[in-house]
Amino acid sequence: MDLNLTAIIFVAILANNIVLNQFLGICPYLGVSKRIETSLGMGMAVIFVMTMAAIVTWVIYNVFLVPYDLVYLRTIAFILVIASLVQLVETILKKINPTLFRALGIYLPLITTNCAILGVALLNVQAGHNIIQTIVYAIATAIGFTLAMVIMAGIRERLDLADVSSYLRGAAVSLVTAGILSLAFMGFKGIMTL
Amino acid sequence: MTTLAQEFSKGILKENPIFRLLLGMCPTLAVTATAVYGFGMGVSALFVLLCSNIVISLLKNVIPAKVRIPAYILIIATFVTIVDMSLNAFTPDLHKALGIFIPLIVVNCIILGRAEAFARKNTLGRSVIDALGMGIGFTLSLTILGIIRELFGAGSVFGFEVMGAAFQPMGILATAPGAFITLGVLLGLFNFIFKRLGIE
Amino acid sequence: MRDSLRMALTLLIIGALCGGLLSVVNGITSPLIAERAMAEFQESMGRFFPAVAKVEVEEVNGEEFYSCYDGSGKFLGVVGQVKAAGYGGDIFYDLAVNDAGDIIGIRIGSHGETPGIGDVIEKEPFQSRLIGRNFADPISAGVDVDVSTGASVSTGGMINSVRRVMNVIGENFLGMEVEKAEIDMSKVADGTYTGTATGFKPDLTVEVTVSGGKITNIEIVSHGETAGISDKAFNEMPGQIIDAQNLEVDTVSGATMTSQGIINAVFNALK
Repeated sequence: MDLNLTAIIFVAILANNIVLNQFLGICPYLGVSKRIETSLGMGMAVIFVMTMAAIVTWVIYNVFLVPYDLVYLRTIAFILVIASLVQLVETILKKINPTLFRALGIYLPLITTNCAILGVALLNVQAGHNIIQTIVYAIATAIGFTLAMVIMAGIRERLDLADVSSYLRGAAVSLVTAGILSLAFMGFKGIMTL
Repeated sequence: MTTLAQEFSKGILKENPIFRLLLGMCPTLAVTATAVYGFGMGVSALFVLLCSNIVISLLKNVIPAKVRIPAYILIIATFVTIVDMSLNAFTPDLHKALGIFIPLIVVNCIILGRAEAFARKNTLGRSVIDALGMGIGFTLSLTILGIIRELFGAGSVFGFEVMGAAFQPMGILATAPGAFITLGVLLGLFNFIFKRLGIE
Repeated sequence: MRDSLRMALTLLIIGALCGGLLSVVNGITSPLIAERAMAEFQESMGRFFPAVAKVEVEEVNGEEFYSCYDGSGKFLGVVGQVKAAGYGGDIFYDLAVNDAGDIIGIRIGSHGETPGIGDVIEKEPFQSRLIGRNFADPISAGVDVDVSTGASVSTGGMINSVRRVMNVIGENFLGMEVEKAEIDMSKVADGTYTGTATGFKPDLTVEVTVSGGKITNIEIVSHGETAGISDKAFNEMPGQIIDAQNLEVDTVSGATMTSQGIINAVFNALK
């Protein structure tokens, strides 16, 4: 069976980057990308939660919703699952690995409202991915998210020192920067397609 | 005590969700390639915001504080699903264009934010006014962005050709980078205007 | 204890109410959605075949083909809901072919092509290069049908896909003999032949050596393909063609366009 995994990975990380091309997860992207370290921390938390959420929502969708003809409940089911999952991860992590919790802890509550998580869950079922493709797609997407965050943080650390008009400082100039980055990522389109 | 008029106008100007609070950026960037889509997205979010504010304001004494967030999420997700199904039934083209961003209204920070920060502490009337103000502020912002991107990106506004045949559309504005850059520039422009108007 | 019971109960009641409300709304809207989808579908068939009264669906290789009949049961033609490989992903489109094997319409559905560049596939000037062509006509990107400069991937992908779909329709629905990219080797004299075709990019040139009535060597002379991605096709395709001694060979996945380009170039060299 041809799973097309290389193409999924390439497209998810570069050609169709979740932030720069699909506009998901913009809030944390603009909010947390001020320093490289915090960006990496957020990225790790997203990789972790996104993969878990993708697996769980895939199972829920294909085991419960589809057989019982309840597909119209998917939004409500997915968001509840994601919210509880984040809570669960937080509690478990606190108990079994306090060091990791201290590193990721502050990012976890932010993740519930990260639309990239719900977005990936929805995109997975929309694309009809099987479980392996789902996992690979989730990890690759999260890596793409982290990549975009870290690049952005690197630029913003420099941008802080630049002489930017006071009206454009902060979010405005970050958005324009993101636009230029997005333009660069557009160059990956067409090299490989799904 | 703020007057009702102030309550209404704050969502449009002083606390405009997009240009002042920077909330709900994902749909703002994703669906504003044309004015119609931006407007459609805005109205969908307005509807969800209004309904959830009403219900949450009514239930504010019923829902225990500890489980309020899951309860809010349930309520919001229900209204989002209703919007999703109604759009699919009545305006299929819009439904197709907005796509995944309709279910994603659930995680739009504006809606949960207004429930948490306003509706659970205020009367029904004020919550309705608040929702209308915020929702209209959101819709207006999205429509403005949509008009600009459509005007220069395709030479039309709300689907009507306005630029004439000699105009060469700037295709970039209709793509992802164009969304970021247009919003960034607009944000700077509004910062300037707000400062001149003395609104901080 | 009473507190947590109350919490659980409240959540449960809200959940039940929400679920109930949704199932009611779903009950109202789902027939409407189904009805509208049906109407839209009828309309899209009617666009191509105004007299359509009955439609039969058949799946071929994962794509759906609709045979259209008028009120008296006369066969009008076939509409395929198919896809092409574009620049930004798959291009989904409808291709309508009448009973005589002429392309009578193309309707582009969803695609990820770049606005202002690749979306020329949606426009009339490009589509008119394909509409009206018959099943028996040669349809080859860059040779018989021009690709659009600056959008060669999008338009080339469309043209190659139309050729493929035409073969499927002709073979499965119109009962026509598919003219395979077959070469009668007995008619080819020994020697060296050069042929050019479009792969992922235009101007893929090959040199084919024929001796003793057999293809003995295929050399890629020049190409503009993407380095790295197309290598696999360049390494594998010539060997496959030489082994098979015809052009009925599988393309290399991941480099489909380059593979097809090599096949077309060899065909052009020997035809």
